[in-house]
Amino acid sequence: MSPLSSGKKGSRHLFMGNEAIARGALEAGVRVVAGYPGTPASEIIENLAKIAKEGSRKLYVEWSVNEKVALEVASAASFAGLPTMAVMKQPGLNVAADYLLHLSGSGVRGPMVLVSADDPGALSSVNEGETRYYAKLMEIPLLEPGDFQEAKDMTTWAFKLSDTIKNVVLLRTVTRLSHASGTVVLGEIPENGSNAFFKHDGFILDPNEGAILSPPVEYKHTEQQRKLKIAEALFEDSPFNTYTGPEKPELLIITSSICSLYSKEAVSILGVRDRVGILKLGTTWPLPPKRLLKHLSSCDHIFIVEEVLPFLEDEVKILAAEHGKTLGAKFFYGKKEGYLPMVGEMNPDKVAAALSRILAMPQPGMDDVYKKRATEISFAGSPHREATFCPGCPHRASFWTLNTALSMDNRNGFVCGDIGCYSMAVLPAGFSTLKTLHAMGSGTGVASGFGKLGGFGMSQPVLSVCGDSTFFHSAIPPLVNAIHHHSNMTLVVLDNSGTAMTGFQPHPGLEKDAMGNVAEKIDIPEVCRALGAEVRVCDPFDVSESRQVLLDLMDRDGVKVLVLKQSCALSPEKKSLKKYTMSVDQSLCAGENCGCNRLCTRIFACPGLIWDKENNRSRIDEVVCAGCGVCSSICPKGAIMKKEAV
Amino acid sequence: MRILGSSELCEDVQKKDLCVDCGACAGLCPYFVSHKGKIARLFPCTLPQGRCHAFCPKTEIDLNHVSETIVGKSYDGSPLGHMRAIWKTRAGRLMQGKGAFQNGGTASSLLVAAMASGLIDAAALTRRKGLIPEPFLATSTDQILSCAGSKYMASPTLASVHEYSREKGQKLAVVGTPCQMTALGLIRMNPLGREDFHDPVALSMGLFCTWALDTRRLIRLIENRVNLQDIQSMDVPPPPSQVMTIRTCDQNLAIPLDEIRTAIPAGCSICPDMTAEFTDLSVGALEGDPSWNTLIVRTEKGESLVEEAVRQGYLERDAMRPEHLEHLRKGASAKKKRAFIMARDKHLLNTDPAKGPSALIIKEDLVKKLLGEEGSCLH
Ligand SMILES: Cc1cc2nc3c(=O)[nH]c(=O)nc-3n(C[C@H](O)[C@H](O)[C@H](O)COP(=O)(O)OP(=O)(O)OC[C@H]3O[C@@H](n4cnc5c(N)ncnc54)[C@H](O)[C@@H]3O)c2cc1C
Ligand code: SF4
Ligand code: SF4
Ligand code: SF4
Ligand code: SF4
Repeated sequence: MSPLSSGKKGSRHLFMGNEAIARGALEAGVRVVAGYPGTPASEIIENLAKIAKEGSRKLYVEWSVNEKVALEVASAASFAGLPTMAVMKQPGLNVAADYLLHLSGSGVRGPMVLVSADDPGALSSVNEGETRYYAKLMEIPLLEPGDFQEAKDMTTWAFKLSDTIKNVVLLRTVTRLSHASGTVVLGEIPENGSNAFFKHDGFILDPNEGAILSPPVEYKHTEQQRKLKIAEALFEDSPFNTYTGPEKPELLIITSSICSLYSKEAVSILGVRDRVGILKLGTTWPLPPKRLLKHLSSCDHIFIVEEVLPFLEDEVKILAAEHGKTLGAKFFYGKKEGYLPMVGEMNPDKVAAALSRILAMPQPGMDDVYKKRATEISFAGSPHREATFCPGCPHRASFWTLNTALSMDNRNGFVCGDIGCYSMAVLPAGFSTLKTLHAMGSGTGVASGFGKLGGFGMSQPVLSVCGDSTFFHSAIPPLVNAIHHHSNMTLVVLDNSGTAMTGFQPHPGLEKDAMGNVAEKIDIPEVCRALGAEVRVCDPFDVSESRQVLLDLMDRDGVKVLVLKQSCALSPEKKSLKKYTMSVDQSLCAGENCGCNRLCTRIFACPGLIWDKENNRSRIDEVVCAGCGVCSSICPKGAIMKKEAV
Repeated sequence: MRILGSSELCEDVQKKDLCVDCGACAGLCPYFVSHKGKIARLFPCTLPQGRCHAFCPKTEIDLNHVSETIVGKSYDGSPLGHMRAIWKTRAGRLMQGKGAFQNGGTASSLLVAAMASGLIDAAALTRRKGLIPEPFLATSTDQILSCAGSKYMASPTLASVHEYSREKGQKLAVVGTPCQMTALGLIRMNPLGREDFHDPVALSMGLFCTWALDTRRLIRLIENRVNLQDIQSMDVPPPPSQVMTIRTCDQNLAIPLDEIRTAIPAGCSICPDMTAEFTDLSVGALEGDPSWNTLIVRTEKGESLVEEAVRQGYLERDAMRPEHLEHLRKGASAKKKRAFIMARDKHLLNTDPAKGPSALIIKEDLVKKLLGEEGSCLH
């Protein structure tokens, strides 16, 4: 048993931010947790699923088909009186937003927390979407932990707050908190609580026993805003809002989340602890006005440190304007004034640079010796590597097929894509095959639209790709749309048997659920056939067969689906198992000569192949090669040999 | 004849619609393939010089250089090229009725004779799937006969020459249009001087040609009028007929040539060769009687094959009427003249290398002779 579930009250543990959140939920007695995988949020559910699997406590955890459904599933538990949590990354919150608007209007019964993880700087995303604005938009409270202990404590408290105001509470984390680790002192996990029962036959407006709905809107909306006022009042003396610094600082930093750590570090780098105060806010919507006004009146120069958009900045400025008469004029140093960027991750250096500008101090220089050594190490220690698919990755073979089929077809066809490992196909790793890249499932929706432009003279073949998990998440409605409207397109499902990008979470196409229990498997080809699409299934490792099938499909009108099915190279059942032992017959290899010009290492570029410049021949890197055998079928000279591994 | 790389081939030939899908660049390497009547480059190749460019009949072709190397005589612009003899021929008694020949069956009959005599062990021919022409390496009489009949589409026939070369064979017959025969000449010249080169060709047989059609454009033209899979044969009867005929089991479609001409690639309009001048033998229709052929004998090798085929009954031969020969000459020199004028107008004839690539290079005085002095060469 992991310390996550068995750690005693008062004991100290090194927890990842996401583990701390999971523990916080356990200490709040959470009973149902649902989410959809997405970096940097995935480990919260993964850890809780493990604990659910252990079976020592009553806990139900699921990877839902998408974030909206996750929020719906979690809310049902709340309606039945149980503590519940939904977990997603920020783009998923957009998916869930439709339901969230309804839910925050109807209110909840059992305490319900919604965790949304932002990825400033898009370290593992294709955008840096913001969670915080949703709190304002949906009129629900927002909490933002600033360190690991807070990640746990705040999660637990978020349940308490939800229970008090009977509405969803939003908890926002960020990559650098979710994925870094720190010491956490544990609290108590309560014994199992009450049973689930949904009371629904009381008076319709009775919040505890009536039906749960958002109308009558005026009444419910007023209720919702009243709840928010309660939260605001509680935030006034919340221990999650802290101030450190002199009583009357020269400059007041207002910050939240992980930026509070960056601010602390910047202040200490510059040695200005006696001049600069830091107000770290943990309760960022609604802002506690009294608390803020107290600090604003202590100082006229305000520096606001936050990541991406100026959310705090705007709110603080509004507050200062509203109280301009008593506060007097304030000088703000924020994003709008150009002290910090509105894009990308924050770090101590950026904060220190802005701080030195504000304080008119020389920029803190890096120690020369340190700088030199750091540069050396970064060169010697980390070889330059292109972003690419893993050795043996089925996506390389699949995009090889897509790309060469489109070239052969020679009508300027293209592929619309979405988010997954396969997003990398916008790069040379996937032969730059993807030409649009947007939200999950969007490739197919966009393709459905392109496929209707024939009437305007467009004759380019239209393809879309999605992963197996994405298929269930959000590709089915656009597929239905395309079929219904007689669009001309081909959907290629890159089925690698798991949610590979985020760590092999199961999905409805598999026989196992998050907790390892047997689940009902839903067959992608059958679904597509039932919808009325022409469906073919191929093994992407059989490059020539897949290509021929795709060429045939592209030639026909209507909606076609090609399922390219082959497990991910890193999937648990494949890992470190080589199907073939590979070698290059040096006497056959044409190398850089006319007739090949090193197709394998120059274009196909599996990391398992090495170009031996001196001998003008390619070689296999036995350590890296995953033994998939695909390269042997693309070599024009038959020089790459595969032998069934023993 | 500058030899460059694949990017120049794309720029200077394919993008200018000069490509006639001859197949000389296809199947040499992983980059160029022919698919449904169109050459595709799958990935960029970075080599500054390559066989794709060197073999292409639409990159800078010095006709004199090709003629001297392949025929052993300089290029003089004579309408029918160098020839030893010209005959009226058709399938002999051994071959009569054996195949769905286009005309007299001379092409197929000579191939069968050549295979029977051991001169060749395979022939690079052209089949058809619907309206899509496909290269085919025939190794038996039946397979030769299965390729009988003209496909009026530009076809990547030469791709199978490369396929045959890979097995290091040296007894290949190749049948093709004049551009294909020019490309075959280039292949045989080993322009990049590769040490591993060997000449696979034992017999080259050209087909007369005024133009060939771009497969995809032709499909677009007729796909709504006929089921492509049902097509049994096609023909372009000689003037005064102004149609192309397409026959299916239950339909005889006649499409006006004016319509058909929209499917001719620009590459054909600069082709100065009607009778495939760089070959052992060249075969065409015979004026006034579609059940016979015109056969031009160009080399000694071609001559002895024809003699042998006649003796053994594979081929029937007769003298050609002088007025027919005269008409043929006229037609051929008209094509030459048109091509050189078009090439000159498009800045593709003897272009100053600084200003861009030529497609054709011939001696300047020959240009003058062919284009300037009416009558010297045209009649
Ligand atoms: C595109 C094209 C245009 C032509 N234009 C003329 C013309 O203007 N005037 C004229 O007199 N004759 C022309 N011909 C030649 C004519 O149609 C006959 O092919 C020729 O008379 C030989 O007849 P045959 O009965 O001996 O052929 P068959 O014995 O039927 O044999 C025909 C041979 O032609 C080959 N072939 C068929 N289609 C193609 C192709 N697309 N590319 C390469 N090889 C092919 C086959 O492999 C087969 O071996 C043309 C042929 C083609 C393919
Ligand atoms: S693709 Fe084959 S011939 Fe070309 S470099 Fe690689 S191993 Fe050699
Ligand atoms: S077999 Fe070839 S393609 Fe597969 S992992 Fe090894 S080197 Fe890469
Ligand atoms: S240069 Fe050689 S290897 Fe490159 S595309 Fe041309 S034929 Fe192929
Ligand atoms: S004309 Fe022939 S060699 Fe030239 S690009 Fe076209 S197919 Fe290739």
